[in-house]
Amino acid sequence: MAAEKTERVMPREGSTEIHADTKGSKAVRIILITLSVLFLFIMLVMPLITVIYESFRKGFGEYLKAVTDDETVGALLLTLEATVIAVIINTVFGLFAAWAISKFRFRGKKFLVTLIDLPVTVSPIIAGLIFVLTFGRQSFLYSYLEEIDFMIVYAVPGIILATVFVTFPFISREILPVLEAQGTDEEEAAALMGARSFTIFRKITLPHIKWALIYGIVLCAARAMGEFGAVSVLSGHLRGKTVTLPLQVEILFGDNKYMPAFAVSSILMIMAVVILIVRSIVEFIGRRKGEE
Amino acid sequence: MYIELKNINKSYGSFKASDNVGFGIEKGKLVALLGPSGSGKTTILRMIAGLERPDSGEIIIDGKVVNNVPASERGIGFVFQSYALFRYMTVYDNIAFGLTVRKQNKKEIKERVTELIELIGLKGFEKRYPSQLSGGQRQRVAFARALAPNPQVLLLDEPFAAIDAKVRSELRKWLRDMIHQLGVTGIFVTHDQDEAIEVSDEIIVTNHGRIEQTGTPADIYINPTTAFTSSFFGTTSELTDYKLFNSFDDVGEYDKAIIRPEFVRVTKKNENQKYEKSAVEGVVTDLQFRGNSYELTVNCNNSRFSARRGLDEPAVEIGEKVDVFIFRLFITQGNTVRLLKNNAIREETVII
Repeated sequence: MAAEKTERVMPREGSTEIHADTKGSKAVRIILITLSVLFLFIMLVMPLITVIYESFRKGFGEYLKAVTDDETVGALLLTLEATVIAVIINTVFGLFAAWAISKFRFRGKKFLVTLIDLPVTVSPIIAGLIFVLTFGRQSFLYSYLEEIDFMIVYAVPGIILATVFVTFPFISREILPVLEAQGTDEEEAAALMGARSFTIFRKITLPHIKWALIYGIVLCAARAMGEFGAVSVLSGHLRGKTVTLPLQVEILFGDNKYMPAFAVSSILMIMAVVILIVRSIVEFIGRRKGEE
Repeated sequence: MYIELKNINKSYGSFKASDNVGFGIEKGKLVALLGPSGSGKTTILRMIAGLERPDSGEIIIDGKVVNNVPASERGIGFVFQSYALFRYMTVYDNIAFGLTVRKQNKKEIKERVTELIELIGLKGFEKRYPSQLSGGQRQRVAFARALAPNPQVLLLDEPFAAIDAKVRSELRKWLRDMIHQLGVTGIFVTHDQDEAIEVSDEIIVTNHGRIEQTGTPADIYINPTTAFTSSFFGTTSELTDYKLFNSFDDVGEYDKAIIRPEFVRVTKKNENQKYEKSAVEGVVTDLQFRGNSYELTVNCNNSRFSARRGLDEPAVEIGEKVDVFIFRLFITQGNTVRLLKNNAIREETVII
């Protein structure tokens, strides 16, 4: 958000004189810009600087030691694992859901659309609890799961499940409007000429939703990496086993190990910045393609 | 009959889109499905294409019942109203698509596509994308794409709706010539009567999911057989009471008396009116220049209707009192129509 806001304010400065009437007086302009910049600084820039400053306070050696700690590396790998699996699952189901909703008429369609948005409206903690109740010891499913030796609660599958749940809407939400705007004419035309469903998807639908899909994947990955609430409930905090990066930060912080906590945070921060850059590139290319 | 529809019914929920529809089309003819929006014409087209299934009835193409033949195997080319060009493919790839999915060899595809691109006059545009073409060019590409796999039947859904007026009349002629030249059987949907009259060999008039009348454009225009067709063609007006106008037979009970501008002769008071005895007085209430004529709105015997006057005739003004003579009119009774001729003309022909 930070990059977006400043970007949109800056280029307009040169043109304010032309549209002076619509933009208000010079004083208003200065006050608004100052307020926005101040707000961004206090809310975003300052915390980021603090994280970096605190991480390196005891020198680079200590920082390196903190981030290469076995538990931290384990947490990083688990976070990446959960993220990759969540993105793959949500891409597949997101595509299916968006496809079904935009291309077919059926009963309960509106309900399905609302349902897809559910993870955004439900608090992640509650989402976590739902899964604990569904798959935990209290559940009638528990005995079956125990029989096949497949543990969900307080195990890696639970973490993945929670991540998938929380990030579910991101991909389908991005694709849906694009598919709906496109309509079914092109697909019908292709089908009339004898193209098979997969050819139609590959040659006509996919090129159309490509950028929305990539954008959705980026958003989904960003959200998956940072997920805390639902994962926290399902994880059980078994160190080195079911701890993701955000949980690791919490544990370190709880143990009063401030410097390592900040160091681990900085990894998450770097990942977020990378995703932000990827997002901007995707958005830029996507928009340029759209204008052609 | 090359294409035949027999007792076709189709409903969407409680809406009856096709109500016992039946007609036949000869090979090589260009036929217009004409009707107001919501009259079921597009549904008929989509059922012939195989994009919709009729609830009951038979669709026969070239002697075979095709109800259960999938759309892609009916040998049909379809031009969508929005053209539905593949926006992420070039003009070349768009036209080649139907051949590519049929796995024809590259050389044959290239020959056919090049031939079609020349036919539609878009040589040099092969590498363009649909968004870089004008409306008329897009329509031609859609046309070429539908024709590429050599279909025997070409279906067009409102082919000229999205094109501006000047290019439209040019494209109409082009399409008509092209279809006759290629010898395919064409059916196009339109709500524009001028378009249907100008382009088609035959018109099928639809209304409320039913077929009202079929025939050549001239036949349908001159001899409408249903109440709907009599008022659908031309700029029709209704007379409140035709008996107030002189020299028409009394037909007893009737629903509507309908006239078209060409049924009316308006003359100035000092002008020579051939049927002076049968003319009635009216007032000009509106006057519009139409390029090749003036369109007048006349108030006469409590009826308001339009008439035309040539540019070389003495000018009339708004508010001027004029003589109005009506040659003939359509009388509708239920769903039947009868043409009523003015007796003044009939008497004269008898004398001669």
